[in-house]
Amino acid sequence: MVHETPVLSVAGLTRIHGRGCADCVRLTGDAAGRNVCPSCGSVVAVADISFDLWPGEILGVMGESGSGKSSVVKLLHLDDRASAGSAWFREGDGRRHDLVAVDEAEARRLRDTRFGMVFQNPHLGLNFGVSAGGNIAERLLCGGERRFQTIRETALGLLDRTEVPRARIDHQPGQFSGGMQQRLQIARALAPKPELLFLDEVTTGLDLSVQARILDLILEIQRELGVAMIVVTHDLGVVRLLAGRTIVLRHGRVVEAGLTDQILEDPQHPYTQQLVMSAL
Amino acid sequence: MSPASSLQRPASSCDRFGFLDDFAVREMRRGMLKALAIPGYQVPYASREMPIARGFGTGGMQLTLALAVPQDRLKVIDQGADDSVNAVNLRRFITASCPGLATTTRTAEATLIQTRHRVPERQLAPGQMMIYQVPYPDPLQIVEPSEAKRRRCHAHGDYARLWVKLYEDVVRFREVSISNRYPARVAGRYIIDPSPIPRWDLPKLHCSPVAHLFGAGREKKLYAVPPFTEVVPLAFDDIPFAVEGFRATDCSRHACATCGATDTFLDEIPQVGAPPRWLCNDQDRCAERQGYPDGA
Ligand SMILES: Nc1ncnc2c1ncn2[C@@H]1O[C@H](COP(=O)(O)OP(=O)(O)O)[C@@H](O)[C@H]1O
Ligand SMILES: [Mg+2]
Ligand SMILES: [Zn+2]
Repeated sequence: MVHETPVLSVAGLTRIHGRGCADCVRLTGDAAGRNVCPSCGSVVAVADISFDLWPGEILGVMGESGSGKSSVVKLLHLDDRASAGSAWFREGDGRRHDLVAVDEAEARRLRDTRFGMVFQNPHLGLNFGVSAGGNIAERLLCGGERRFQTIRETALGLLDRTEVPRARIDHQPGQFSGGMQQRLQIARALAPKPELLFLDEVTTGLDLSVQARILDLILEIQRELGVAMIVVTHDLGVVRLLAGRTIVLRHGRVVEAGLTDQILEDPQHPYTQQLVMSAL
Repeated sequence: MSPASSLQRPASSCDRFGFLDDFAVREMRRGMLKALAIPGYQVPYASREMPIARGFGTGGMQLTLALAVPQDRLKVIDQGADDSVNAVNLRRFITASCPGLATTTRTAEATLIQTRHRVPERQLAPGQMMIYQVPYPDPLQIVEPSEAKRRRCHAHGDYARLWVKLYEDVVRFREVSISNRYPARVAGRYIIDPSPIPRWDLPKLHCSPVAHLFGAGREKKLYAVPPFTEVVPLAFDDIPFAVEGFRATDCSRHACATCGATDTFLDEIPQVGAPPRWLCNDQDRCAERQGYPDGA
């Protein structure tokens, strides 16, 4: 039997905006019912977040607006830096990095070559000043690819893979529909063959049929590429479809964690119970 | 006299030579030493007010004034011409503030060559130094408006968006369309804007025996390509960098109508009712090839 180790091992991950005080964590969270420290006014965006992500797994991160979902992803994607905790990432070659402590050069390398990120807002994930192909090319160029033909062919392959018509390769993303912009974001994110993919509310605000197509695409990518993913959503339907396991956040804390099916069938936390009830 | 000895000019010899006060001279020289020590890195410096409007070569001129010693022989060109209004004005100002400084139009005889838009065609030799007037020192300016962000990009060697610009160019025009200010990597590290010289001149910077000093007065930046340093134009592996071809429709190479050269950068001169004439842009090179008929 293969002894697997997690791709990502997160423990005690905490991000406090503001100067912080000794009581920030104690006075916020689920039990306190808030994420602003009453003593010093700092925002405890997330605290004490712990979970493992296994190879090829899709982990759901669920919670209402402001619960800290995007904060978790930003910390792991190294767009923001944690106040405390650790997040050990195991690279394909076996090297391990604590994402909380890596230096800026290493952070850049990991973002450019090992991670992929897809945002709800395509303006965050795409460069609207360059063509669709240019958006994909940028990621390949970041990874050191210098052959124009290879870049071109890889970009076309990724457009095929994400069902963006090849003929659109030289068009600006501003001319694309919302669904196609998201698929282009996914193509761009996948360009360097990442080992870890973050998807933050990628279907929010899209028509149901467009959503369904993107969710199918994400499942196909998981099956084909085996890339581990963290899928952030406030939508029960999305975690039900995509995520084998889910963590539920509230006021910046994990209030429930486990197999998605179990959480949906037998929620333990009153908040999750209420969520599941209202979705029925 | 070598560039090194020029940089070692004792401060006491500066009295009333070179317009700049000793403090400004030392500041420029410190900046230049740093620029030479970190090839391609843009060194900020305190650009002085000059009796010429910024943007008319004040950066290059300050470098010349800080470097020139009475033993130097100065050549000033604008495009390939020594006699254009700009070149004449700059030369006049420099010689007026550096009494005794000799000037020349002959590349072979010059020790300091201040230039805008061209590198002389003649192979440069140790003992000479190139000084460039630079309007825009930062190659990232076309892709990133914020200077703070550009500095970070340089620090991290993050030139991906410049490469994307090249990609988009090749997609749109089937080739890289940048005709001058072609970005190049220096000593395998920093990417520079080589000032508005044509592509034709870029290979002359590669492993050149002389120091190339760049001054941007308005932007208050200095940078340098030291002698014998790699200068590699940004290009895809499968689409090599190419200089201007000056090819006729039958693919033959245009020649200079005056000196017959087929290995120089040519200007196309439209003619009324006749095909255009092609002439060397570098006037000194053209005259030299003819054996200096006017005795210039
Ligand atoms: N840069 C910041 N400064 C202050 N507060 C922030 C910052 N970023 C996020 N927050 C706060 O952290 C909490 C969690 O935000 P976020 O992670 O974006 O939530 P979600 O993605 O679940 O909607 C919110 O209360 C938000 O206002
Ligand atoms: Mg969010
Ligand atoms: Zn506090």
